[in-house]
Amino acid sequence: MDDELREITEPSAYLPRVQAGEPPAGTHPHHGPIETVREAVYEGHRIRVRTVYAIEVDGRPVSGHLAAANDGRVHYHPVPNLSFASAVDLVKALIDAFPDDFEPDVDGHGGHGGSHH
Amino acid sequence: MAAVRANILADAAARQGYIDGVLALKAEATGVMSNSLGIPGPPRDLATYDLFVVWHHWAMSVMTPPSQGDRNAAHRGPVFLPWHRFMLIFLEAQLQRVLGNPDFGLPYWSWSDDGELPLPEQPESPLWTEDCMGGDGDPARGFFVTDGPFADSSAFQVNVTADSNGVLRTVSRPLRRRFDLLLGLPPKTELQVALADGEYDEDPWTAEPVSFRNLLEGWVPAETQPHLHNRVHVWVGGDMLPASSPNDPVFYLNHCNVDRVWSAWLEDATGPRYLPDQSASDDLFRHRIDDPMFSIFTSADDDRWTPRRMLDVSATYGYDSLAIT
Repeated sequence: MDDELREITEPSAYLPRVQAGEPPAGTHPHHGPIETVREAVYEGHRIRVRTVYAIEVDGRPVSGHLAAANDGRVHYHPVPNLSFASAVDLVKALIDAFPDDFEPDVDGHGGHGGSHH
Repeated sequence: MAAVRANILADAAARQGYIDGVLALKAEATGVMSNSLGIPGPPRDLATYDLFVVWHHWAMSVMTPPSQGDRNAAHRGPVFLPWHRFMLIFLEAQLQRVLGNPDFGLPYWSWSDDGELPLPEQPESPLWTEDCMGGDGDPARGFFVTDGPFADSSAFQVNVTADSNGVLRTVSRPLRRRFDLLLGLPPKTELQVALADGEYDEDPWTAEPVSFRNLLEGWVPAETQPHLHNRVHVWVGGDMLPASSPNDPVFYLNHCNVDRVWSAWLEDATGPRYLPDQSASDDLFRHRIDDPMFSIFTSADDDRWTPRRMLDVSATYGYDSLAIT
């Protein structure tokens, strides 16, 4: 390992930096509908598509950061390794992925059931 | 001397060193309190291992540029490979320190070997045995891992995790896995397709273009994703799914293999070894070749840790084999 890497990977060097760190703005909870903007340039024309998602599960809002790509697929940061053909598919995957956030209903459905594929 | 990174299924010493090192980093209190980092939930003295979870989550929360919600400071853009290389180097240095072995190399999981097995046999790989990573989560117990060194009965606890809204919170619970048996691990043919793409990345530097980086990260072809790196996250499931995925020690085995594939690609590269160069738009800050990469471990004005710096790491580590067959 080169000397510069050795220096920065010592706890005495990095712990004060971690302590002084400020959480990025994107880590703060988001409230209200989620807005995503798609932009493209075609034949010299500037295209801008603004989409607003207001998603609820059992009446409770889902409010993480969401982006729609120009091919129409939806990407939701809390499940960062997936993108979805529709927002409904996305929410089904969320219910599977976060059992602590989506308790099974009184009949025992949901929460731990099914695959997202 | 440079560390040598070995296949975890072929090197018993690397496997045991990794397990011992992870448990030691998990037990090492740092004095960094979760509430001092703005993490909601009961305050916790974070372990060294947990700091890497925070780093990954924060990097994913930095949009590049802030005006869009797609590309972030570590994913869905060109910096994906060098940023994770930097993260692995940092973790490897911590493992070397707690193991008292400056030559210890992070092991990799050659997941495409298991991807060649029939779907029902993939969870039977030696990776998931009691003396390696432990197995799938138990659906009767909330998908908690119940065997191996990181089982619910062990000292290994998840301390910070991202919720369904992407907010990092403190928790105290066992590790979760939920294998997606229908999905299957990546086959070798997908790796060959990625390695055959000579273009590192291309405009508009998002998850859409067909480039080596997007093939390996796993975004293309879009209709049949997830692929390669992404597919491994999704196949393991549980704590490998959220932005807090470094909670599962398998995260590093996956990324070490991704890094090995990048090393193989770099060795054969005939065109630019990284794109975009520094003449690209400021909207690509954090992704251009001489931009400082996002880190909680280095000071904001430390501009030495760039994608360019990650292109030759031969003084730090190498792999036992770059043969991707």
